[in-house]
Order: sequence, then C-alpha cells, then structure tokens
Amino acid sequence: MDVTLLQLTAAIYLLATGSFILYLVLAKDFFSHLSPLIVLSGFLIHTAALGVYFFNTGYPAIAQFREALSFYSWLMVGVYLLVQLKYRLTVLGCFIAPLAFLMSLAAFTFGVGGGELPPTLKTYWLPLHVTLAFLGNAFFALAFGVSVMYLLNEYQLKNKKVSALLKHFPSLERLDRLNYVFLIWGFPLMTLGIITGSLWARVHWGEYWSWEPRQISSAITWILYGGLLHGRMTAGWRGKKAAFWTIVGFAVVLGYFLWGDAVFPGRHGGRFE
Amino acid sequence: MEKRIIIVGLNHDTAPLEVREKVAFENTSLRESLKRLISLPSIEEGVILSTCNRVEVLAASAEEKAAVQDIKKFLVEQESVGDPSILDGHLYSYSDQEAVRHLFRVAASLDSMVVGEPQILGQLKEYYFAAREVGTVGTILHRLFHRSFSVAKKVRSETAIARRPVSISSVAVDLARRIFDHLEEKTVMVIGAGRMGNLVVRHLIQNGVRSLMITNRTFERAVKLAEEFHASPIRFEDYRRYLKLADVVIGSTESPQFLLGSESVTEILRERKQKAMFFIDLGNRRNNFDPRINEIDNVYLYNVDHLKDVSKENLKGREGETIKADEIVNEEVEGFVRWLESLEQVPTIVALKERFEEIRQKELEKSLSTSLKELSEKERQALEELTSSMINKILHAPLARLRTQPEKKSIYVEALKRFFNLDEK
Repeated sequence: MDVTLLQLTAAIYLLATGSFILYLVLAKDFFSHLSPLIVLSGFLIHTAALGVYFFNTGYPAIAQFREALSFYSWLMVGVYLLVQLKYRLTVLGCFIAPLAFLMSLAAFTFGVGGGELPPTLKTYWLPLHVTLAFLGNAFFALAFGVSVMYLLNEYQLKNKKVSALLKHFPSLERLDRLNYVFLIWGFPLMTLGIITGSLWARVHWGEYWSWEPRQISSAITWILYGGLLHGRMTAGWRGKKAAFWTIVGFAVVLGYFLWGDAVFPGRHGGRFE
Repeated sequence: MEKRIIIVGLNHDTAPLEVREKVAFENTSLRESLKRLISLPSIEEGVILSTCNRVEVLAASAEEKAAVQDIKKFLVEQESVGDPSILDGHLYSYSDQEAVRHLFRVAASLDSMVVGEPQILGQLKEYYFAAREVGTVGTILHRLFHRSFSVAKKVRSETAIARRPVSISSVAVDLARRIFDHLEEKTVMVIGAGRMGNLVVRHLIQNGVRSLMITNRTFERAVKLAEEFHASPIRFEDYRRYLKLADVVIGSTESPQFLLGSESVTEILRERKQKAMFFIDLGNRRNNFDPRINEIDNVYLYNVDHLKDVSKENLKGREGETIKADEIVNEEVEGFVRWLESLEQVPTIVALKERFEEIRQKELEKSLSTSLKELSEKERQALEELTSSMINKILHAPLARLRTQPEKKSIYVEALKRFFNLDEK
C-alpha cells in the first residue's frame, strides 16, 4: 500500500478537522463550505491510493489489519459525504473528520496484526463480507456522531446553559431522526455482513459460527442495535436513551476493532489457520 | 424649494407603555391616518411607524418648523390620546442628518429596547409598504427607507449585533428551534391570556407555527384571543385532554398551585410516544408547571428567569458591536446626506454652468466674427478647447466646495445665485 498517499490523506483529514473546528468557533459560512470540500479532496486521494493498490495487486487492500482500518475510514468518509450531500449536515463533519484522521493515522503507524493472507483465502468472499460489515459500521459511526451531538445539545437545553458553540447543531428532533435513519441503514448492512461472513466460514472452515471474539462482539452489537431499532419502532424509544445506546454500541464496535485482536486473538486479526 | 426630512415621535426610552399605547395607530385605520397626514399643508411625504416600542411619523417637508408642529398636532389629535398634555415631555423630533441617523439606527435595531432584535426591520418594511400603497411616499422617503433597509442588512452581516437573540420571546423561539426541526409542523398550546404569552405566541407564529390552541379560565377571553391568532379556543375544563397534541406549552396564568405536575406530564408523554415537549412558564410566580417536569426525558421546562438568563448570556460581548454598528450607520448617513444635498445643488450647478457657457459662446462668436476672423479651422478648434477648459478650471473649485461643505451650502448657493444673476432666467 502506498504509504505516501495515505500520509497525505491523513494530513488532509487533519486539515479538515481544523477547518471544522474553525467553523464551530467562528461560525463563518466560509468554513461550512470549505470543510466538506477538504474532506472530499482527502477522500479522492484516499480512493486513488486504494485504486492504485487494486490495480497493482488485483485484489482490494483489506487483508491486513492496517489496510482494513484504512478501508473502513474510506467507507465512513464516503458515507459521510453522501449524507452531507443529502442532509447538509456540516457539523457532523466535526466528528467524522477527526475520526477519519485518527484511523488513517493508525493505518500507517500500526504495523501490528494481520499476517499475509493465505492464497486460499483470496476469494471474493472477503471483500464482500468486509465491505458489507464495514458499510454497516460506517453508518453506525455517523449514528454515533449525531448521538454525541444529541447528548451535548440535550445536556445544555436541560441545564439552561445554551452556548454559542452549539448554535450550528441541528435541532434535537432532527438529530434523533438522523440517528434512526443511520441505524435503519446500518443494521441491515451489518446483518448482511454477518451472514456473508458465516457463509464464507462454512465454505472455508466448514462451520457457520465458531464463537470467535470478533463474532461475539458483532453479535453483541447486532443484538444491541436490533433491540434499539425494535424499541424505537414499537415503544417510542427516542432521544437521550436512543443516543446513549447508540454510543455504547459503537464503542463496542470501535473498541474491538482497535484493540480486540490484541486482547482476544482470532481469525479476524489475521490468524487464518 | 429644498425638502427636509423630519421625524417626530416617541419610543420606549422617552415614554412609558401607557403613553405609547395611547398614541399608537390602529392597523385597521392606518390608511385613513396616512391620508390625514398627507393632507396637512406642510407635509409632502409621510410614513407612519407604530409598534409596541415606538410611534413615529417620518415626513419630507419644505417647512421644517411648520411640519414639526403639524405632526405633533396630528399625533395629539388621535382619538385615543384624549388629554393632549399626556404627550408633554415624551416627544422627540429630528431633522435632516439627525433624522436620517435616527431611522438608520432604528432599522439596524440599535434603537430597540432589546438591541439587535430582528423584528423591527420587518415592521419598518410593513409600514413603508403601507404608505407606498396609499401613495404618501415620494422620492426622498423612498430613497431613505430603501437605504435604511440596506444599512440594517449591512449592520447585520458585518457585526455580531443580531447574531444571538436576546428578547424573551426570541429566546423562546430560538430554544424551540433547538428542540424541534420544523416549527411549521408543531402545535402550540397557550394556557392563560397573559401579555407576555401573547408576545411569545406572536413570535412563534412569525417563525412558522401554524397550529395553535388557546385556553383560558374565562372561555370568552380564549375565543377572542383565538380569533386574533386564528387559533382554536379550548375550554379550560378540557385543555388537559388536548395537551398530548401540543409540542410547545405556554403557561401564563398566575395560578397559586401547579397547573401540571410531574405525573400528568409523564402520562402525556407516554401517550405521545415520548415525542419531545417544550414547556414555557411565563407566570410571575413561575408556578404554572412543576419544576420537576424538566427531569423527565424529552421534556424541557423554561421559566421567565431561565429565558432571561439565556438572554443575558447572549447579550455579553455585544457592547463593542454596537460601536462598530454605529460607525457603519454614520458612514451611511454621510452618504445619504450627500445625496440629499446634491438634489438641491443640481439646479444651481446646472444654472452656473449654463451661465458660463453662455458667456463663453457669446464672446467667442463676437471675436470670431470680428478680430479673429482669419483663424483657420484648426485654430478655431484650439480656441474652442482653450476657452472650455478655462471655464472648467474656474468652476472646479467652487463646485467642489458646494459638494464637500454641506454645512455652508445654503450660503454658497445664495451667493452664487446673486453673483451671477442665476435667478433671472
């Protein structure tokens, strides 16, 4: 993987983070237009890096842990840009840009985890499984962003400390609805990710489910988000409660993604035997 | 004849509410009032501005003193005023530059009770358009008002003066916007017919709220208010049944015990599937809603003190901005006054130039037909240019002075007229 391009991408995401912070603090329209464009340019360079890799090796850059991390941040930023296009939710970038920066930074500093992929595993099961699972998680990242915004906004409104910093936040109602929209997209994608993963495991290892740490953490998240969606649809769970559980769910996803393999080694960390 | 701009009126600073209310013009009879104003012999153009914080008459007139007197009388003669002496000491009047500055400051919300509140500009426009419809606006007020709108815009965009709401009702609307996405789709319930409640309601309507329920212990009062706001009146005995439909609930009763307690609100929320509710307690006793309801998820309770706190917070750091805003206003006033004066100077300047041109032509003709008869075409051309340029040079200084020293303008104009017999034609 071309590290220079990745470094450039990380630098641009850092720049975007700065621009988003300026937007929050100075409340100038200029930055609300500029910041997403910076993210977009980072995304394009990132896309180029992934494309070059694919062109050279004939296989997407997702087998190694660092590659997977970089691929995940690419999907997340892509989904954010689509959401920005549809909902004009510039403030959300204040959460996505730093997250994207940290992930792409990690992608070329972490050398750990993930040996070479055995040639037998270089099937299209892997990109299919990873893309679906990661797309689901990308939506969860956005849901996480709006949930954090919701809690901040809610705290201020409840406690009568209405600061100018949150002036550009969307209304609670809108944040809550977006939380729902992102979950309703993320959950089926994640489900498909789990299903394709199981099928692939059946094909390759002969078993659908092997109680891997990664599988267990996915199952926890899946049940959590499934329960949350169910509660939203039937019992009118919304607002603070929904935001809180969304954050917990994403913490499980992210926590396992970043540290899980170091603590609980498994096939998802690169031990494919 | 030169026209002056005159403003006579009173505002929140110079007159108490009781006086302002008496002088205020009824919306329904505004057209008649405007017609009456323009029929005054001294008034050539006129606009009436009447809000809860100010009543002003703006006019263009050739006779300043007569116009001021006429407008004062015009204000006093309103039926609602009764005793004319109640206006004593409350009226102010401005003319020319000061009048322009005053209007610009009003438009930019620098003269408002709550500096930076945005409604005044809209009100100003309304009254201007009303006057234009009746036909009492001419060149001067037309230009003056349009200028004031753009000054207001400039102040808004170049200073932070209006960035954050500070009046109680605009704070309430701002908070509602932080909670709800589209106010257009929200329902508001008003309990009680307090003055403050009306203000907040008016503000909510201006910001898109369309669905409104009003209840009051005296049902007739609710009906009357409901008519005014195109709302649905609700009997006091029934209002609790309708609460689950309300997203914003405004309590402005002075009830000795809570209208709504924690349990009932929890129940209502269950009925509305936890959809958020915003309670605003505008009672002086802050006793409309149990304060504990703020602890319920998706319920937000603000009373007058909370709204004032937010407002104070928003006001911080605004002082420097008013200075900046006044600088903008001053610049604009200068520009406008210059235009106003150029209106008056134009005839004098034109006359002066014509006079000189006339002399030049006459003398040139005389010489060219006698002593300079032998000149070639080229030489004639040169002579033409020479004399033209001499006149331009000679006129340059006095004309520049006319434009740049407005304070001495009338003396200069008068002197020029006499020196060169400009009036003779």
